Amino acid sequence: MGKGRPFLEIFTYVFDEDYRFPILEIFAFLFALATFVFADFAGGYDRTGETMAYSLVNTLCEFPLMFIFVVLILKNVAYGLGGDLDRGVMQTLFSYPLKRRHILTARLLSGLGIAVLLFFGIQIFGLFLLAPDILATYSSTVFLTYAAHLCSPALLLAGLILLLTLRLKRGGLALIIGVILFLAGLIFSGEVTYIAYATDSDVLLKIWAVINPNTVLQAYYYHMGTSGFLFGGETWVPSFSEVLLYLGAGYLIVAVLFIVGYVYFDRRLEI
Amino acid sequence: MRWITLLWRIGTVALAIGLALLVAWLIPSSAEYPYRMSRHIEPGQYMFESGVYSPQNGLQISVNATDEVRVYLLGASSLELDNWKTLLREAYPDSESPDLEIFIEFYTVPLLFLHEAYPEQPLPDLFGPQIITTPTKTQSMVWNVTVLDKGLQTHPEIILWNPPPGSTFSHELFPEAVLNIMAVVANPSSNTVEVDVEIKEVLAVAPKDRIIFPAQLLISIGIGLTIIWLFSRKFRKSIF
Repeated sequence: MGKGRPFLEIFTYVFDEDYRFPILEIFAFLFALATFVFADFAGGYDRTGETMAYSLVNTLCEFPLMFIFVVLILKNVAYGLGGDLDRGVMQTLFSYPLKRRHILTARLLSGLGIAVLLFFGIQIFGLFLLAPDILATYSSTVFLTYAAHLCSPALLLAGLILLLTLRLKRGGLALIIGVILFLAGLIFSGEVTYIAYATDSDVLLKIWAVINPNTVLQAYYYHMGTSGFLFGGETWVPSFSEVLLYLGAGYLIVAVLFIVGYVYFDRRLEI
Repeated sequence: MRWITLLWRIGTVALAIGLALLVAWLIPSSAEYPYRMSRHIEPGQYMFESGVYSPQNGLQISVNATDEVRVYLLGASSLELDNWKTLLREAYPDSESPDLEIFIEFYTVPLLFLHEAYPEQPLPDLFGPQIITTPTKTQSMVWNVTVLDKGLQTHPEIILWNPPPGSTFSHELFPEAVLNIMAVVANPSSNTVEVDVEIKEVLAVAPKDRIIFPAQLLISIGIGLTIIWLFSRKFRKSIF
């Protein structure tokens, strides 16, 4: 028997646990309806097409929709994995002829991969129905904006909560901490621009942009559209290569978190 | 059996997305922000109003005129407009008049039509000091119906709505993309015409004509896959 079959067995088990009927269907319904309800083509006269594309995708990745998405991810990572550790299901999974890291991969593929596929798949489909021209003309802007929002808060929080769940071996507390971190990040995102504007310093803004790359995209596209006034005056006007650099740094942090999680799960986790 | 279950879950997800689209389709649209204006249009002239509209906010236009007029709805993407603005700035590089810059920004299409109709005509002559002394001459060149006709012949792709000439018009339009839509009322007759124009912004959750087919398709796929799953379950139970 190859490794594929046990992997598939575990993947099917965690998928059934993560998405009991009708959880997947309820989230699919919410994502699809909310995509149309929250889409906002508020590009004014002074905005270029690229800024409008960024603004549109940004409205689809803001509070209500992103919160629903993050709750789904945190439920799967914290509650799902934590439940397996707490109830002793993980011991059964370890009896499969698979390396520990493959078991974690199966869990993350279901908990994270399917959720990401569902969220972004439905959003791209909704965008295709709403504004096919934006999707076709400014595909790189759409891709970058989604990549920034996926990096933080989604994957960053998932990585943090993965570590916390593995450490605590229970999901409830990790889930609550995850939700608090999400809301704290949301509040701080709103404040950081004002702080930069008030102190006339972009240091805090740049530090926050590493954790939340959407900040650098916001600075880049709002400057392009409105000569920077909306984004803390002339505090920070990043170039496109800076945007890529900050996005890369954000993903590097996410990668480090997941690598640490994998190493801990593989070598240090005691059950 | 696992594949059948997988197909069933794909079906139920498709059904859920289809139902969400159906709900979005059922939410009624609302007309808001009415903008009314009354104008006299000189013989052989046209008037022009523009705004940015999207698949979620269309426009409802109604025109009442004292004589027969021609009405057009024209649409251009911001990318096209940006290209035309660049073309106009390159065509008149020596002009540093702020009036011209404002004109290029807000009246890109009429200026493009003018430039195409009279390519040799230098714009500083049109928008120089004489704009104050002889405004009618300037206006008559920019807002001439002949210029409009030539422009529309060159750019037929921007015409979104072109009804037969008349004195009363009413139309609702949701563009298929984010477009700068320009409402044009032209007076080709030899008399001055008084025109009442009302433009309302119509807000909708989704472009109804574009989401109904995917909604029907997804719901059908969802129901189909669920029926297959139900039959296979019944068949399996009858065997064991």
